[in-house]
Amino acid sequence: MTIEKLRRWGLALASLGVLGILVLHALVFFWVPTEASQGIIYAIVYVHAPSAWVAFLAFGIVALASALYLWLGDEKVDQAAVCAAEGGMIFTTVVLLTGPLWGKIAWGTYWTWEPRLTLTLLLWFIYLGYFLVRSSTENPERGKRFAAVVGIVGALDIPLIHLSVLWFRSLHPGPVVMKPEGATMDPRMLTTLMLGLLSFTLLFFGVFALRYALETATRAAAVRARAART
Amino acid sequence: MSYLSQIYAIVWKDLLLELRTRERIVAMLAFAVLAGVLFNYSLDRTIVRPQDVAAGLVWMTIVFGGLLGIGRTFHLEAQDGAFQGVLTSPAPKDAVFLGKTAANFVLLYIVALLVVAVFMLFFNLELGSNPGLLALTLALGALGFVALGTLFSAVSSGTHMGETLLPILIFPLLVPMIIYGVSATARLLADRPVSEIAGNLRMLGAFATLGVGAGAVLFRYVVEE
Repeated sequence: MTIEKLRRWGLALASLGVLGILVLHALVFFWVPTEASQGIIYAIVYVHAPSAWVAFLAFGIVALASALYLWLGDEKVDQAAVCAAEGGMIFTTVVLLTGPLWGKIAWGTYWTWEPRLTLTLLLWFIYLGYFLVRSSTENPERGKRFAAVVGIVGALDIPLIHLSVLWFRSLHPGPVVMKPEGATMDPRMLTTLMLGLLSFTLLFFGVFALRYALETATRAAAVRARAART
Repeated sequence: MSYLSQIYAIVWKDLLLELRTRERIVAMLAFAVLAGVLFNYSLDRTIVRPQDVAAGLVWMTIVFGGLLGIGRTFHLEAQDGAFQGVLTSPAPKDAVFLGKTAANFVLLYIVALLVVAVFMLFFNLELGSNPGLLALTLALGALGFVALGTLFSAVSSGTHMGETLLPILIFPLLVPMIIYGVSATARLLADRPVSEIAGNLRMLGAFATLGVGAGAVLFRYVVEE
């Protein structure tokens, strides 16, 4: 795909995502019923849960692309990995900002050593390490390989981290959608949440495509600059 | 040369080097003892009983002290292109990694045992009735730690941030080791039934397997020029 085409696709997906998020807010304010026990504060879930989904989806892409990069050595998959990682880190930050806001009212504390909270914080730091190794080598090719190793080991360790922090303590509200007996949610709440998931995913892939187009252009420019110098 | 003897050659070389320079092991051991001294003054014994927090302190001392030594795994060989010599030897890269990890394990395990001994001495702790299982817990935790430590030490020494990068890369990954290791150690020190820590040991084993396996596969991509 050409850069121009990628940019158009990215813009279209991102716009759809933003539109979806605007509709989502309208639904949250005017349509969806207020949760019985938690009240209005529960509404933050429609932003929080979709962001968390995107954060982990992005890390999945990072890990997969990293493994492919080490295997094939293809520039393009490394580019995909770094673009997904940037998007992922933003959404992880959103999760970490919205979670404590809700927690302060629902749990009475901004922070608690709740498994999913802890896992998300650690994910944020794994992303941080991913960017730090990338940018701190003299040879950029080495930086890419280092980052790929961080991405892969991080992804392999996440299930173990998850199990261990789960084992340590659990306070987080249990799953309400993905349960064997079916969702136990008002259908309107479920619709709103699904719209949130869809919009955030579209926004992520839109931003991802835009970022990918930018990265392609940057790298092409760097190659031209190097050629001009020699 | 068979695969095992290649690993053995690396282990022997690293340990001999350590025996002659004594750089890393002395730093780690001194750190362990001095950390014990500082911990003594950082705890108000009229409020906290040392045996309640000993397991956590033991593990944190192992991690911090271990980082000192493990972070310098490739330091000595970085001079005069010595590590290039190791890499161009016929030994496959994963054998180099396993050898380095095994040598680091020997060093860290000595440190871990000393840390426990120091804490027993400084805080008058009882070892519990299962010193063998305690040694196993420490060994499994230390193995996972040195495997990830060796891999990421190779990464961080290839960057210009050097050893400062190592904790950022490795601490998030060490959470399972700390959680299962500390809780197993605390239970062993409190003489709880062995059945309570079987799950912890399995998870520590899984963590070590993951570290060693991932390191052996990925090491070649880290050291490639």
